[in-house]
Amino acid sequence: MSELPWGVHGKILEVDLSSGRIEETPLDSGQVADYIGGRGLGARLLYDRIDPTCDALSADNVIIIAAAPLIGTNAPTAGRGHMVFKSALSGGIGSSNCGGTWAPAFKSTGFDALVIRGKAASPVLIDIRPEKTEILPAGHVWGKDVHLTTEALQAGEADRRTRVLCIGPAGENKVRFAAVMNDRNRAYGRGGPGAVWGSKNLKAIRVAGQKKIQVKDKEKFQSGLDQSFYLLKQAPATKRLLRDLGTAGLVELINLINMLPHRNFLDNRHRDEDVERVSGETLAKKLLQRAAGCYLCPMGCQRHTRVGDKKGEGPEYETMVMIGPDCDIYDLEAITRVNYLCNELGMDTISFGGTLACAMELFEQGILQAKDTNGLDLRFGRSDLLDEFARRTAFRQGIGDLLAEGSYRLADSCGHPEFSMTIKKQEIPAYDPRASFTQALGYMTSPTGACHLKGGYAVSLAFFGGAKEIPRFSLLQSPIGIRNMHNLGIIQDSLGVCRFTGYAFSYDPWARMMSGLTGLDFSTARLEEVANRIAAVERLFNLAAGLTESDDALPARFSREPILVAGEERAVSVDTIVRMRRDYYRARGWNERGDPLSALLDSLGIEKRKWP
Amino acid sequence: MTKVKVKLFGPFRDLFGGRELEFELPAEVRLRDLLRRLCDTSEREKQVFAGQEVLQPHVIIMKNGIPVPRPGGLETPLQAGDIIAIFPFLGGG
Repeated sequence: MSELPWGVHGKILEVDLSSGRIEETPLDSGQVADYIGGRGLGARLLYDRIDPTCDALSADNVIIIAAAPLIGTNAPTAGRGHMVFKSALSGGIGSSNCGGTWAPAFKSTGFDALVIRGKAASPVLIDIRPEKTEILPAGHVWGKDVHLTTEALQAGEADRRTRVLCIGPAGENKVRFAAVMNDRNRAYGRGGPGAVWGSKNLKAIRVAGQKKIQVKDKEKFQSGLDQSFYLLKQAPATKRLLRDLGTAGLVELINLINMLPHRNFLDNRHRDEDVERVSGETLAKKLLQRAAGCYLCPMGCQRHTRVGDKKGEGPEYETMVMIGPDCDIYDLEAITRVNYLCNELGMDTISFGGTLACAMELFEQGILQAKDTNGLDLRFGRSDLLDEFARRTAFRQGIGDLLAEGSYRLADSCGHPEFSMTIKKQEIPAYDPRASFTQALGYMTSPTGACHLKGGYAVSLAFFGGAKEIPRFSLLQSPIGIRNMHNLGIIQDSLGVCRFTGYAFSYDPWARMMSGLTGLDFSTARLEEVANRIAAVERLFNLAAGLTESDDALPARFSREPILVAGEERAVSVDTIVRMRRDYYRARGWNERGDPLSALLDSLGIEKRKWP
Repeated sequence: MTKVKVKLFGPFRDLFGGRELEFELPAEVRLRDLLRRLCDTSEREKQVFAGQEVLQPHVIIMKNGIPVPRPGGLETPLQAGDIIAIFPFLGGG
């Protein structure tokens, strides 16, 4: 093994909840250069440790939480942790990212990654300190919501650096889109990591430490750092707009470009005055108390809001639209309240909104009936029932037991999977793919299923791309554009930094900071190679888990039922899907089935695993 | 005369003092003429234009839901009934 780069501790903590065994293993130093940390390191560690065909909600699933080299430095936004696991929704790779302060606290315990396997006999929490790690009983907090659990596990802690990562009732009840939460309201949201925790009887991970990392070449690191802050202060989005409007500032814009979903993606037609009621501008005027940032973030898009006597966080753009207009709801206060509730229950708001919208359509079609819904009126637009449905889902009560399975399994169990607006069984976020081929392809080829992060904010390429602009309906440019967009996202997730830095700069400042920090040579070209390697490993995992190219597709609605975009009828035909998918694979060096070619794997130094 | 509607979003509402404005312009008018008329103070001018013929990079303008191209968008001809929307660059989700 080569010499350990700077910026990492060189240690992985491995916890087996079945046997109670806790051990430290060395970090393979070559993996820092090859996979960096976060998403990349997590994907590699998972690929090496799991049978991808296992049941996601069994003891065989493995959870990897990976910090990243930049975490612990003062690089902007460098505090995002990454969790990798087999997804409870897709059955492929689950990969979820989160802001907040837990990840820096975890790294200060002296570990670069945490591997959790097995299943505890009764509820437990993992308590990690630099001097020792323990598995402790957690019966006293089982059943408590995220906020109460966080308070209970921090109470009495002398060390003010103590941080808690936990699940709420949704995770305990294995809701397939349950989140894992830190700092009360920050979510590892997508792919159901909370359900995987719940299936292992893992309630929380508490961390406190004070181990620091050292920078190898301070001057080089500083040059990248200065460049990054300068650029973040130059670009209007990162300088001011995200703070002023939050991500919900997009609602009006996305509506105007005909991309805002309505009624389970049936159409994109909204009344202007309705959209105005759920816009970022209205949110800022009516409910916003203050904006704030995650760890080391100069942008500050967090919305700390108040509804009546209740305070909380949100809603973000995705939450606003998926629980709002996609359910034909334009009631800002009701959306905000149920957002608070989802945070407390530990539930992903995108999949909750998408699943509810699907259930509403099934109800209006007469496929779900009052006898299935405990007599509740599940028609579109019932904002007064949002809290009720969220609670029932988290506790799997009545109709909630069906909703907790996510929209695909819900619609499939009714014999009508075509009403589920999902890719790889994960709910599509709040950009209608018919309004941009680039967005459609981004969703299709995201390794985790439809995702606002893994799929890429393709909309920005079409409208704010500048020299990199890609026309919305370009068959030729979309595959390369999406590959590049995916690659930048992979690197940001592996560096432990926020996607929104991408509105100010892409690779170069990070490459300098990483080179200065670690002593390794990270150029832009090197980072792109790392991204290709990580994409290949994620793909190999998915193929081994049984996913195929037919899973890289859109629900039939988007091919068969056109919407009006700038006065023209637009759908994404099956031919378009097949062609763009093929070209994306080609741009990646994968064959027509999306299997990475052996020449590519050789050049990236990846050995394909075989399972018995 | 060419009557057009201007819809404003985000910080442009404060800048121009409203959500929706209407303008009556002479015939054969182009987007440039409308923007010049809108930007009647140095602050407004500075927030929208980076140079004589160049928009600030964070200013997104759409005519009837279709983004106007850059460069070249200032030449876009306007007809009666057109709706012009002015947005800030914003991303996220």
